[in-house]
Amino acid sequence: MASPVVVAPILVALATAVLTLVTRFDARAQRATSVLGGVAYFAVVAVLFDRVVLSGPTVVPYYVSNWPAPYGITLVADALSAFMLGLAAVVGLAAVVFGSTYVDEFGQRLSYHPLFHFMMAGVSGAFLTGDLFNLFVWFEVMLMSSYVLVLFYSGREHTRAALNYVVLNLLASAVMLVAIGGLYATTGTLNMADMARRLADPAAYGVELAPTLGLASLLLAVFALKAGVVPFHFWVPAAYRAAPAPVTAVLAGVVKKVGVYAIIRLFFTVFAGGAYANTATFAYVGPILALMAGASIVYGGVGAVGRDDVDGLLAFSSVGQVGFIVLPLGVGMAAPDLTVAFAGAERTLAALGVAAALVYAFNHALAKSLLFLASGTLHATVGTTRLDRLGGLAARTPLVAASFLLGGLSLIGVPPLVGFFGKLLVFRTATEAMAGGTPGAGVALAVALGGAVLTIAYVTRAWNAVFWGEPSETVRTVLPERWRGVGAGGDAATDGGTNGGGSDATDRALAVQVTTLVALALCIVGFGVGVEFVVDAAAHAAHAATDTQGYVSAVFDPATQPGGEGGGH
Amino acid sequence: MSGADAGAGTAEDAPDAESGPSLGYERHTTVIARTVVRVTVPIILLTAVALLLQGHNQPGGGFIGAVLTATAFVLVYVVFGQAYLQSDLLGLDTADDTHRAVEYYRWLFTAGLVVALASGLVPLAFGFPFLTQAVAMLEGLPLYGHMEVASAFAFDLGVYFTVVGGLLTVLGEVGTE
Repeated sequence: MASPVVVAPILVALATAVLTLVTRFDARAQRATSVLGGVAYFAVVAVLFDRVVLSGPTVVPYYVSNWPAPYGITLVADALSAFMLGLAAVVGLAAVVFGSTYVDEFGQRLSYHPLFHFMMAGVSGAFLTGDLFNLFVWFEVMLMSSYVLVLFYSGREHTRAALNYVVLNLLASAVMLVAIGGLYATTGTLNMADMARRLADPAAYGVELAPTLGLASLLLAVFALKAGVVPFHFWVPAAYRAAPAPVTAVLAGVVKKVGVYAIIRLFFTVFAGGAYANTATFAYVGPILALMAGASIVYGGVGAVGRDDVDGLLAFSSVGQVGFIVLPLGVGMAAPDLTVAFAGAERTLAALGVAAALVYAFNHALAKSLLFLASGTLHATVGTTRLDRLGGLAARTPLVAASFLLGGLSLIGVPPLVGFFGKLLVFRTATEAMAGGTPGAGVALAVALGGAVLTIAYVTRAWNAVFWGEPSETVRTVLPERWRGVGAGGDAATDGGTNGGGSDATDRALAVQVTTLVALALCIVGFGVGVEFVVDAAAHAAHAATDTQGYVSAVFDPATQPGGEGGGH
Repeated sequence: MSGADAGAGTAEDAPDAESGPSLGYERHTTVIARTVVRVTVPIILLTAVALLLQGHNQPGGGFIGAVLTATAFVLVYVVFGQAYLQSDLLGLDTADDTHRAVEYYRWLFTAGLVVALASGLVPLAFGFPFLTQAVAMLEGLPLYGHMEVASAFAFDLGVYFTVVGGLLTVLGEVGTE
């Protein structure tokens, strides 16, 4: 019997979105529904994670509508999906709590909550689906909502950013559709497990292999655009600056990772089936990925160093950090069968690369969403994030400062924070590849080291300009003394900055925001200290991603398949 | 007020025919257009409902039915105007010239989503996967004789309401601006 826990994350997000539409007439009810929905989402993802990862890694298929694979749409929850969902749940919960006080009342009533949860539904669907066309559909669900959320403030620069974002993504969607159509025409199936099975044994299914490589590279371009890797990065800075802070946190923390997830799922699980893959797809795609990743690291790092406001700096940093996530994937593809000892077992370099990418993605999701949210709080309190107008905020808002510092340090990769282990695994992948004699691995390592130095440079610069030193003119005017909203029960003497007046409501709102920041910072420390947990989960996820055989046999397991006659019971 | 006695055919030089209690659609459109719309709108709506009803196993469905329905509304908007549609057809108060119907369209959209999601959730209660559908064949009915009742219709109905509500909200909002 199919377990509804697989479909639950999608359903909870969808139901929350619909309920926030129903409760539109009452702002408080709507906010409560939205936050409760975030909590419920976190809870069902935790249950799914426990089912799929903790109690023995398994692959659980779910046949929507009771149609057997490959005819119906199959959802597949494995360790990789569960890992990505976990990442989405943590960031999503933080963002929904933060957003319920950050986004203004009118905006919340208008559309913020439903759109946010529809976006989460799209993300969950993309992580769970086992069907290529269905992946496209969930991408669209996610993107449709994000279009409106990027345009949320509807100012001049927001409209420009959103126009860029929408046009590029529509183009990408069209290309994706063409590629999926081509793959369907070539392989005769849309089900990912079925496609993997056919590609692994092309002769038996009469599949022509040559076109799939080109179609796969079309898909690669689309996913790279979603992930914001150079040379498909140009929509990133403007869109991230235009969207409200909690939305940017999810865009940078989660939506970007959907592109990374799609690359891992399709290239490592689907296109990697059988001997064909390692000689053709990996050898062809690996260097391209590594090259794009290297370019991202350099471009994002240099761009971030040169920015003069926190939002812009973080947005460029996102381009660079995604490079760090994609780099081990490319390196892992270059020598996929190299054996390395990792997480208590002999594994392939491909698996190590995927695990490195996942741990790094987890770190980036936590740290970058924390930093974007902190930047949002600066907007709400000081009214600007320009580096030359800020300064000395450490003395005024110590908790925000401390959280920002932890997020920044994790981005740099200082032990014992999660970021350290992420970077370590990325370097490890490169050194193992180098030791195995893979050409170009040394260059990848050098680029990663250079990128790490750039990260130190721009994080230090942001910290020094915003929080260190003497308070600047602007800071002195809007925050004449230390803000003590948190812990003092909201009776602090603070000037609410752009929100106008230090009212109780503003204080409460800021207290919630700061609490969210502190909670995320504690997550970064906690997952860093208990990194075993993250690395183990990532190792399981990497194993699931590279184990095409297990994926296929789980989906076509006759014990779980519904009866052959399909949906009409 | 029926609007028919507002001096049909005579081109008065009133400043702006849209405002005020006079519906004034006579001044903007021709008799031909009005007559054609009067005849076609019921046909369009009937076709829309037919498409909706047969959609689960024949060409048609909630989406295309909803688009046709929205087309019928658009024809009325274009030819008879917003005030006529609101006051005469929907019975809303148009005294302050606001586009009140949009709020109803929004609720239609919400209700459609609720119906569609609920229709997908029902099978979970019976231990089947999300969105599982069932069909019942009714035999020996008077007049019909044989009729097929598909649970997919509930989902189609949800889609129908969602799309009608969504399209009309967009049209209403953009039209008001």
